[in-house]
Amino acid sequence: MNKPSSFSLRGRRALVAIKDERDLSIVRRQFERLGIDMFIWGPGGPLECQPDVALIDDEFLPLASPAPGLRGRCPIIALLGTETPSRLKLVLDLDPASFLVKPLRSAGIYAALVMAFERTERTDELRQHVAKLEDRLRSRRVVLAAVLQVMHSQSVAEPAAFALIRRAAMEQRKTIEQMSAEIAANGRLPRAAG
Amino acid sequence: MTKPSVPVGIICSQSGPYQAMGQEILKSALMAVDEINDYADFDFSFTPHVRDPRGVITEYHTVCDDLIRNTGVEHIVGCYTSASRKQVLPIVERTDRLLWYPARYEGFECSDNVIYVGASPNHNVLPLVRYMLDNISRHVFCVGSNYVWTWETNRVTRELVTAAQGSILAERLLELGESAVDHIVDEIIRRKPPVVFNTLVGSSSYDFIRAFHAATTIAGLDIPMLSCSLCEPELKIVGPASAGCITSSAYFESIRLPENRAFVQRWKARYGEASSPSVDGQSAYVAVYLLARALRRAGTSNIGEVRRAAAGHRYNSPQGPVWIDGDNNHCVLTPRLAVSNAQAQFDLFWEAEAPVRPDPYLTQLDVAAGPARETFRSGSSSSAPHLRVVK
Repeated sequence: MNKPSSFSLRGRRALVAIKDERDLSIVRRQFERLGIDMFIWGPGGPLECQPDVALIDDEFLPLASPAPGLRGRCPIIALLGTETPSRLKLVLDLDPASFLVKPLRSAGIYAALVMAFERTERTDELRQHVAKLEDRLRSRRVVLAAVLQVMHSQSVAEPAAFALIRRAAMEQRKTIEQMSAEIAANGRLPRAAG
Repeated sequence: MTKPSVPVGIICSQSGPYQAMGQEILKSALMAVDEINDYADFDFSFTPHVRDPRGVITEYHTVCDDLIRNTGVEHIVGCYTSASRKQVLPIVERTDRLLWYPARYEGFECSDNVIYVGASPNHNVLPLVRYMLDNISRHVFCVGSNYVWTWETNRVTRELVTAAQGSILAERLLELGESAVDHIVDEIIRRKPPVVFNTLVGSSSYDFIRAFHAATTIAGLDIPMLSCSLCEPELKIVGPASAGCITSSAYFESIRLPENRAFVQRWKARYGEASSPSVDGQSAYVAVYLLARALRRAGTSNIGEVRRAAAGHRYNSPQGPVWIDGDNNHCVLTPRLAVSNAQAQFDLFWEAEAPVRPDPYLTQLDVAAGPARETFRSGSSSSAPHLRVVK
């Protein structure tokens, strides 16, 4: 299934915690124009929807419970009233994907939303990529052990040993790390590759 | 008895790269002002304060500031490019004035201090691209000026074309005012695309259309060209080469409505038999009328009151019924398609069955959906190329 485009916001759900009535009415009008469903939330209150995005006013910081449940659940857009380092520190604790400067105008809201969705999307991809790399890093030790074993058992240099492991992995449709683990466990290459 | 006067600012460039359109906007706005001042049904008159930024972007900020500080205007009609509107926007928002913006634009903006009288992207880009996909080809060669209007028009086109399993064969951009078009025309002749989408503006567009026409004639090629911006005064500037361009617009001089016939008659009486109103000019005329009617209903020039009075109030304009959508301050308009002819006019061949609500953020756009089964007008031009009348 195609992921929804970050540019198309119709039908998305937004959790909104905004103190100022004027700012809230600007957000409400803009969300109506964009086709976004808005859920007003008072920090400390229960989260009654599965939001796609949350707008959090810095007036409410630091967030009371269940704010920790909000973080990581959806992209957060911070609404900034002041730019003092102490306030920004609280904002950074939210790990916001985007921000808006108060008093709000209609201009900027769409861009902040698109940035938030896109930033979150890219960060998720990056996290997955890092997890994959960390996984591979952890298995390097096993690969090294397998290479040494093959070098010793086949009397070949390191590049040739690695090439044999790679060929065996391809033949058996396994990753190099999986094949290395088997070689390390069995003490030798599978027959076909040797 | 002298009527009380309401000052109105008019900002449009009378020189510079898009002076032709600026002049059209000024002519139309002043015509509307004079008519309103003469009508007994309005118990006030307008005093126009005209400012000419000469096409210099930073000047728009300066002249707008001057209008607000030194003439006390609360309402301003004008600006043409998005860049010029964005210069004026912070001032009108900060001082709570109202800008009546006549030009069609790329959307994705919605200020409470702007009334967007021109077409939204769903009024002009969507009908044209849908028509192309339905009747001409799913593979298109794009040429345009290197600025936001082209970027956004091409983005929407790409989304629609890709969803229809088509392709953008090329996307060639020229700087504003650039006249070196031959390399693009040569590429078109070499590659023979089934259709060309032209989003060039001003003199670049005129040069391109002439060169394209000459080259395709010599090569014996019949490649249709699409445009979202070409208008009658420009057809006259380009000359005979401009015939055959399929164009999307909310206004054409050839619209057969009594309001338009009367408007064109008054226009020619004022500006000469050989002259033609343009879509952006007519839009400025509509803007002045929408403002006057809103002032009359509100009974005050207070911005909030005028905005409320203007919303949803239908005006039978030269282009047909127009009203402001109070949800987004953009206008409800009737999209139309036409093909230019050898007389520097447009032959209409399609119009929406009813006025269409503006969708400035394209939230209602479903790229996968086919075009609506709108009925093509009977009496569509038989000379229009590449047209298939859908019943």
